[in-house]
Amino acid sequence: MSNEAVSLHNPDYPVPEELRHNIAITTLDRIYNWSRARSVWPMLFGLACCAIEMIATAAARYDPARFGMEVMRPSPRQADLMIIAGTVTKKMVPQIVRLYNQMSEPRYVIAMGACASGGGPFKEGYSVVDGIDKFIPVDVYIPGCPPTPQALLQGFITLHEKIEGQSITTVPWYRKGEGEAIPVPVLGPDLIDPRQTALIRNVASQPPDTSDAAQEPATD
Amino acid sequence: MYGLGIIKGLGITIKHFANTYVEDFKQGIKRYTAEDRFTARQGLEAQGLFTVQYPEEKIAVPERFRYIPFLVVNDDDHPDAPGQPWCTSCGICSKVCPPQCIWIVRSTDPETGRPKPEPQEFYIDIDICMNCGYCAEFCPFDAIKMDHDYEISSYDRTSAHIYDLQKLTKPLSYWRTIAPTRAEEERTAREAKEAAKAEKAKK
Repeated sequence: MSNEAVSLHNPDYPVPEELRHNIAITTLDRIYNWSRARSVWPMLFGLACCAIEMIATAAARYDPARFGMEVMRPSPRQADLMIIAGTVTKKMVPQIVRLYNQMSEPRYVIAMGACASGGGPFKEGYSVVDGIDKFIPVDVYIPGCPPTPQALLQGFITLHEKIEGQSITTVPWYRKGEGEAIPVPVLGPDLIDPRQTALIRNVASQPPDTSDAAQEPATD
Repeated sequence: MYGLGIIKGLGITIKHFANTYVEDFKQGIKRYTAEDRFTARQGLEAQGLFTVQYPEEKIAVPERFRYIPFLVVNDDDHPDAPGQPWCTSCGICSKVCPPQCIWIVRSTDPETGRPKPEPQEFYIDIDICMNCGYCAEFCPFDAIKMDHDYEISSYDRTSAHIYDLQKLTKPLSYWRTIAPTRAEEERTAREAKEAAKAEKAKK
């Protein structure tokens, strides 16, 4: 933490030697980002096994209160950070996008673990979204299955670095006009309709058609 | 009697809780200023429970810890073949990989056009990898091992999370430092195997 404190008090402005102990100069950006980065409140929700590691991180042993991140808010209105901790199923995506839209700016998203970043072992599963970044913008990706508490803390530090790199003049939430909400995805029909089970069973029980006429389109 | 195990378990928790304070009184300021203060507080022999001050103080991971796989190559000061990868691109790891995150391309000899036992390309998508360690378990040449480096978060997954040959390659000395016991076991096993082979050839 010490090097960040140095960067806070080290502007590109020469201070006379005799005044060094009495004057601290910083930029608005630095003090704004420094205070913002030290009070990132995550949202209280977890999706799968990564959430267990997130709970372990939130407990006394790893203590995110050292980063000002111990307040897990149960409401998206009060949260700054969304930790996508676990496998995102297609059924869960609309709710996640809705929660993201309800979060007030500035908002950040961490994709924790392989599943949230890119689908993980369930990448080609019929019910799993392969990467939450297909729907909402992600700031930091933490690989691992699941990431250990220390890996998650390192992800938090990476996010803090990103926050400290932003400038008050260019951030989107002080621009004019309203930001556009992300469209909430709609869960489409199932690939297999349970009402057609009898029909599917009937087709599957037929012996495969091995005649040349049936083979030809397949070889194309 | 039911519930005895629960009481025993709670006893351990209370012991840890009490030790945190008792040891503080016993050892005093030494606990925070001594040379080995991190291991004294977070090591296996530690008494009591303390918050891990993460970026400054890291818990040592166990030797069998698994994260992302890496490929073993010879050290740079190897007498015969420095930097030679151990991987023969046999493809066993990519076959056993449960989520199918490994992609290997075998290299071919440009003169004869025959396949060479060396990988030309080796990709692991760490957004699919589930850190199971089957690849390391099944590799017949000890060429793929599980890394201990967990500090790999990034801002962009498409550029940073598909590990290629260059990113995966790490020297044997690195494996020896992170897992000394296992590296030694594997070395003795390899030597015994080679000795048996030489014995057979002599006959």
